[in-house]
Amino acid sequence: MTELNYVPTICPYCGTGCGIYLVVKDGEIVGVEPWKEHPVNEGKNCPKGKNAYGFVYGDGRLEKPLIKENGSFREATWEDVLEIIADKLKDADGSSVGFINSGRTTNEDLYVVQKFARCVMKTNNLDNSSRFCHSTTVPALLSTVGAGVMETSTISIGKADCIILAGVNIHETYPMIARRVRKAKDKGATVVVIDPRETVTVKNYADIHLRLNPATDVALVNALMKIIIEEGLDNKEFIESKTSGFDALKDYLAKQDMSELEKITGVSRDLIREAAEAYAKAETGCIIYNAGEAQHAEGVGNIQTLADLTLLTGNQGRPGAGVNPLRGHINGEGFGDMGPIPVFYPGFVPVSEEGAKKFEALWGVEGLPPEKGMSYMDMIEKCSILYMMGANPMVSAPDINRVRGLLENKDLLVVQDMFMTETAELADIVLPAQTWAEEEGTVTETDRRVQFMNKAVEPPEEAKPDWMPFCELAKLMGYGDKFDFNFGAEIFEEIRKVVPTYTGITYERLKQAGGIQWPCPSEDHPGTDTMFADGKFKTPDGLGHFQVVEYKPPAEPVDDEYPLALCTGRILFHYHTGAMSRRTEKLNFEVPEALVEINPEDAKEKGIEDRARVVVESRRGEIRPIAKVTDDVPEGGVFVPWHFAECTGNALTGPSAGPPSKMPEYKYVAVKIEKGGE
Amino acid sequence: MKGDMYFASASDEEILKRGEYGGAVTALLKFALESKVVDAVLGVRKRSGNNRYDGVLDLITDPEEVKECAGSLHCAPVNIARNIKEYLDGAKQMKIAVPCKPCDARAIVEIAKRKQIDRDNVLLVGLNCTGTLSPVSAKEMLISEYEVEPGDVVMEDIDEVDGTWKLTVTLSDGTKKEKDLEELEQKGYGRRENCRRCDVNIPRMADIACGKWGVKEGEKQSFIEVCSDTGTEFMDKAVESDAIKVEKPGGDTIAERKKKDEDAIELANKCKEEYLKELREMSLEDRLAYWMRYFDRCIKCFGCRDACPICYCKKCYLEPDRGYVPGGEVPPDRLFPFTRLAHVADSCVNCGQCQDACPAEIPLTRLYTMLNDELSPMFEYVPGMDVEAVPPLIAAKEEEETLIDDINLFLAKGGEGE
Repeated sequence: MTELNYVPTICPYCGTGCGIYLVVKDGEIVGVEPWKEHPVNEGKNCPKGKNAYGFVYGDGRLEKPLIKENGSFREATWEDVLEIIADKLKDADGSSVGFINSGRTTNEDLYVVQKFARCVMKTNNLDNSSRFCHSTTVPALLSTVGAGVMETSTISIGKADCIILAGVNIHETYPMIARRVRKAKDKGATVVVIDPRETVTVKNYADIHLRLNPATDVALVNALMKIIIEEGLDNKEFIESKTSGFDALKDYLAKQDMSELEKITGVSRDLIREAAEAYAKAETGCIIYNAGEAQHAEGVGNIQTLADLTLLTGNQGRPGAGVNPLRGHINGEGFGDMGPIPVFYPGFVPVSEEGAKKFEALWGVEGLPPEKGMSYMDMIEKCSILYMMGANPMVSAPDINRVRGLLENKDLLVVQDMFMTETAELADIVLPAQTWAEEEGTVTETDRRVQFMNKAVEPPEEAKPDWMPFCELAKLMGYGDKFDFNFGAEIFEEIRKVVPTYTGITYERLKQAGGIQWPCPSEDHPGTDTMFADGKFKTPDGLGHFQVVEYKPPAEPVDDEYPLALCTGRILFHYHTGAMSRRTEKLNFEVPEALVEINPEDAKEKGIEDRARVVVESRRGEIRPIAKVTDDVPEGGVFVPWHFAECTGNALTGPSAGPPSKMPEYKYVAVKIEKGGE
Repeated sequence: MKGDMYFASASDEEILKRGEYGGAVTALLKFALESKVVDAVLGVRKRSGNNRYDGVLDLITDPEEVKECAGSLHCAPVNIARNIKEYLDGAKQMKIAVPCKPCDARAIVEIAKRKQIDRDNVLLVGLNCTGTLSPVSAKEMLISEYEVEPGDVVMEDIDEVDGTWKLTVTLSDGTKKEKDLEELEQKGYGRRENCRRCDVNIPRMADIACGKWGVKEGEKQSFIEVCSDTGTEFMDKAVESDAIKVEKPGGDTIAERKKKDEDAIELANKCKEEYLKELREMSLEDRLAYWMRYFDRCIKCFGCRDACPICYCKKCYLEPDRGYVPGGEVPPDRLFPFTRLAHVADSCVNCGQCQDACPAEIPLTRLYTMLNDELSPMFEYVPGMDVEAVPPLIAAKEEEETLIDDINLFLAKGGEGE
């Protein structure tokens, strides 16, 4: 008799955290059905969610460990490969070893990898692609409101009566959060979109489109604030009681010349005024931003000005208000919370002497490294041994031609993944990982929502959960007692002890639809929909701190040789490096290859016709995509999605911010474009 | 025989006690398994614990497990027909008893005409229905309007009380709280939009139709109407084997049930009138613009198609590889919504699953209902009622066949005409 099971779980793609039912028939996933009780998406899904399981059975699932010999891979046993890795690690100095991890893995996976790096290898060389998406958010929001997290729940966005969508094409990249914007708009909210492109988000939601020149966000938001202050629309009571540093900002803005700001941004003061008034006069103003603000050399400044804007108008501490970063990965919040990054232990305890002592006591170990570890690109440059868990820098990192050269010359490159990715091909050892449908665990979505993912089916052959090899390596290296984990549940119990915001969360409680939003300090606590609701920010003095930010041009401005500004980003049907979505037939059918969007005026000048092959070139490399001639990109701008390994914008990107963010400027790269041959 | 009516209750003491209305449905399903009338029962049960807001389908073969599916989950509108078609091979390999609402039964009948479900292999145990609620909005309503904890509700009921329709919830301590249904719906709560317009409350297209209308307050009984030969045979066996106890209802109770049905239909017609008034009064240009604005929101998730119990093609017209709707466009080409409309409008049973699944909040059932309202009298066809009646848009009458020949001839001549 047929066995049919409906397994509730979470979509493995973006950081929204939509619920889905996987239909499992006789041990195989055969469909996705709506999970109507799930509060985030109420049974509705985007194309990726509807096809969430495609890649589980996608081409090239890794089933056995592989070792490279004379340039090609041979199958090996787990025992053998782990022994090789353990021997190498035993001989290595911790500072020369790096662990690059991923937001597609669970909290349990991430917790174990960072504990391994710190306890066994005595290094903080840990990082992940948060370096490439929100490394600017964390310092920006820490300096202003004291916590680098989404403030409202996504559900409460529907309560806002003015929403600023800053640098986020939300209709394509977070369709189920866009649905909340739609709900607010249907109730009369004004939507302001800040974007140089005329995206489908602009077409569908914008009442006011501030179509600024690329990388001039600071100037634009400064102009918004200048008008708000001049018109007396600032929230004086809020500023007086809840913030500090306002006078410095006010003085700085008073000296700004509005004509100059108009010139820099390319947006008229009338339109800026209209937006300023809509936001400042709103009962609940909501700022939602993403990579369009964050992925800039000046990303920290971009985000600080947005935070300033909320403080100026008192749009803080209420459901639907605040300054809200969106997270790209399913575990986009968790891959910060768990501490698999160079500067924070779990629970955002700063890496320091004090932090090291605290975790030595918690873990019962000695000699934890007190100094910060290397960040993503520094590890790729400098570490002689790299262990990648689910990361694919050969598509996601800037200047991949250079990355290839560096990875090819490692003493040991281990890649643990579901598929033979572009990065895995360069590895010395490849380890097969389980997918989200084969492993139980937790993930923490963009609005601090911790959710449980059920195991739906058995993994293929010898694929293991991502955390498991680290426990086995720890045993081989004499740390078995610190890694005595047999199930995800045991790891989560330790996470609860170590991360105070997770203390009240249990696997059992997470079985309710929608999970629990941290902070959740005790088992009878319902979780937290809205940050700062008690009127206090997470800064040391509890106040919001205004930051004065001066506009600076991008890292690599356009010039005569490279006259166009390239912006890279996501599209609706694909996801990040394509490792999952391009192995999903239905999604690949929709968009099988990269298109470069170019403005008709620029196209005309170069004699480029719609759908013609072109060459896009930067100082670092070139790609040959098909041209899509469209007004959606401004004159002087081009757009390339980053999902297509054979034609990725990251062959062109390169310049990055300095510390603390070290963010690559994915949203602004000087390029030129020519008609191309086949 | 067909048309026979009974008051029925479970013979089994435990089932009798647990059932909301005498446990007749549970007893019948259990009997269907025990007597091997069917191989399995496809029931809806709570996903976990006492959660009334999340139902999952459960393919049951152990008669003892049938009672896990007892009781109506008004806030868990599960897509039964689709699941049989998609995941159970259209019941072609096994006989399945399916307790179902009128829209589920109609969808099963309608897709059976397209040979995607074997109607002879499903025993449709129809359940009267006056509407279902979306779980998230229902919970919100319970908190804000009823001021109760959703987890504390043990039963919901939609019924007419002294000429007014009420949604009554019963709490774990036995307390009942009722609110005016139409007032709730004016606030955006209450039943799903399609349910408000639904005028099929008694599933006579099923094999038997079970409900409480006609049963006296406090009596632990269900009212059952036999609707097919299969139903007759099944009921006779069940009575003979003493799975259920039956009585003949009196004329007054039959009349009362009829009156309830008529009143529910009247409410549906009133809702339909109200909800569609604005659209019907629009000029055709405005009406088209209204829908175009909605279609602009589409993110091509295929949720409507996937949820539709009537859609079944393995090679769908809407997929990019078919060459009609280009891939990757947001919103998709207009062919997308219009092709869907053209393909299923004549067979739409107003189950609302497409609208439930739509992330763009396009009021799809409104569109389908309006078109179906035009088509239905034109072709004298009501979808999902009679498995023998052929959907007008996939069937050709004799004179139409001649016309098709003429068209083919015309095309064969290169469209030159005569």
